Amino acid sequence: MSLGLIGLGYIGRVHLMNCLRLDDARVTAVADISKKALRNAKALGVPYAYQDYNELLKNPDVDAVIISLPTYLHAESAKVAAENHKHILLEKPIARNKAEGEIILSAVEKFHIKLMIGHPDRFTEENQNLKTMMDKGELGDIQVAYATNISSGPFMHRADRDAPIPVPDWWWKKELTGGGVLMDLGSHKINLLRWFFGDVVGVKSYLGYRYNLEQEDHAICTLKFERGQIGIVNVGWFSQQSQDRLDVYGTTGHAYAGRKSSSRIKTAIQLMLRRPTSYFKSHLQEIEYFVDCIQKDEQPQHTSGEEALKDLEVIERAYANQVKLS
Amino acid sequence: MSLVSLVKTEENTIDSIKKGIIESLKLIDHNFKPSENVVIKPNLCYYWDYSTGYTTDPRFVSALIDVIREQISPSVKISIVESDASAMRSTYAFRMLGYEKLKKEKSVELVNLSTDKSEEVEVAVNGQYLKLNLPEKIKSADLLINVPKIKYMTQTTISCALKNIFGCNPQSSKYKYHPMLNEVIVALNKLMKFDLHILDGIIVAGNPTCRLNLVMASRDPVAFDAACARILSINPKKVKHVVLANREGLGTPNFIPVGESLESFSKHYPKTKTTTKVLLLGYKLALKTGLLNPDLL
Repeated sequence: MSLGLIGLGYIGRVHLMNCLRLDDARVTAVADISKKALRNAKALGVPYAYQDYNELLKNPDVDAVIISLPTYLHAESAKVAAENHKHILLEKPIARNKAEGEIILSAVEKFHIKLMIGHPDRFTEENQNLKTMMDKGELGDIQVAYATNISSGPFMHRADRDAPIPVPDWWWKKELTGGGVLMDLGSHKINLLRWFFGDVVGVKSYLGYRYNLEQEDHAICTLKFERGQIGIVNVGWFSQQSQDRLDVYGTTGHAYAGRKSSSRIKTAIQLMLRRPTSYFKSHLQEIEYFVDCIQKDEQPQHTSGEEALKDLEVIERAYANQVKLS
Repeated sequence: MSLVSLVKTEENTIDSIKKGIIESLKLIDHNFKPSENVVIKPNLCYYWDYSTGYTTDPRFVSALIDVIREQISPSVKISIVESDASAMRSTYAFRMLGYEKLKKEKSVELVNLSTDKSEEVEVAVNGQYLKLNLPEKIKSADLLINVPKIKYMTQTTISCALKNIFGCNPQSSKYKYHPMLNEVIVALNKLMKFDLHILDGIIVAGNPTCRLNLVMASRDPVAFDAACARILSINPKKVKHVVLANREGLGTPNFIPVGESLESFSKHYPKTKTTTKVLLLGYKLALKTGLLNPDLL
């Protein structure tokens, strides 16, 4: 099976490195506006490199694509990919709004394309163990879940080797992102909580603007699920220190799952051995699952386009149902 | 010997900071010269706000603006300047870090030196000539005030007054200067001689972040940085750009502290352990040799 990667920004590069580790698929082509990114990909042995993703989508050797473009380009690129009969793994959030998400869904339905939205949280061992515990009833009835993801978000200081990389301009424009931290990090947490507890029946949110951005840089969102559980989503772009964890409180016990921060020495050894770091292992598993689904001719469930659209609906309701704290 | 004043503010409020600024200037016997155009250079190194200790607190600059207007003239024109860096755009930093709000509150101008007019100038330093750009805004100002932060920095050991002037270099791809950073820092300080250096040491970056409540002032950037090095428990003689700046006549590392004792601040910064130094060196070497390549996640 042959993969094409569209978009080689931060997460696109992570996907490229993980794709090169796959046993059941090879990377045939990449597309990005950056010539440097294309040169680097070619140096890693990728045969075709395009500045225009439309060219990649016309390449008959490519069976499926991983789209890691800015959110405002999701609808158009996914639609064209579907029209060119390429299966799609699309970065979250599915789109800037429900209307754009529906354009993607109708295109994949029309051309019988498999669509998966990237939510690696579903592939971490910790989250899977937590789900198993809850499904077995080991914690009793879950009443409250508290999902946190606090970091610098897109403003994390990143470097190519030790040269700093500027934050792409589109992150400052709400019309291009569709929203702030709730879209960026909140979409992961809402997706995870919906996997555990089902559909959301009620939403209230508080949005904060510490950094004077057009979009919210922190948000607390309270969700009520169809079976009565309450989920609290606490996400922020405001901290130099990252925390990503989920606490669940049931009638017989409590438990939590979190991405443990790996030690620098362990990360250094993993990098030297050309292995995925602990943090990005779930991203590799996500791609392996996508490839497996296509090879078995099955629709990916983690996460399907329809489920991702439901996540987006919850976010849109959160934006509409804000609580003012005075 | 140059005077360096150290003042501990009582509280973390604008009034308290203002009192600290006035006191620190009094201790070095500083009077502002009559001026019409004043430039203030804060340190906006990234999109991390004042609470991290990495960037100058707009409340500190606000208090300084009040002092300048009270001591020079209420009508003095004040410009706050910063330039783009490899990973930072001034326009966004001004917005995210509270400087756009300050602009409205205090009727000051925000200037991105990377988009301002500038002229190419040759500066001799350490036996070589460097071509650099002098921004028009800096050249035409009659009073230049540097408001740095105090930080450890991998490439230059410390970052304070001299290093903050690196941010007056309009070139946005500042990373390309890193191989000869010490020379470029000193050259820029020779090209743009600031009249006053006043430290926003209210919150200081580090592990952990520390509330020092320190205001420090000097007219001599070398003395100022030598004092900063001492606060961080580093010998100023080990800081290459400080040594070079002294050799190039920008000031003296021999300073007379006035006000609070330097030790009352340096006690928060014990000397770095040898094992930490060795690990840091190993990490840098692994990056440099390509043994550790973050591209290959």
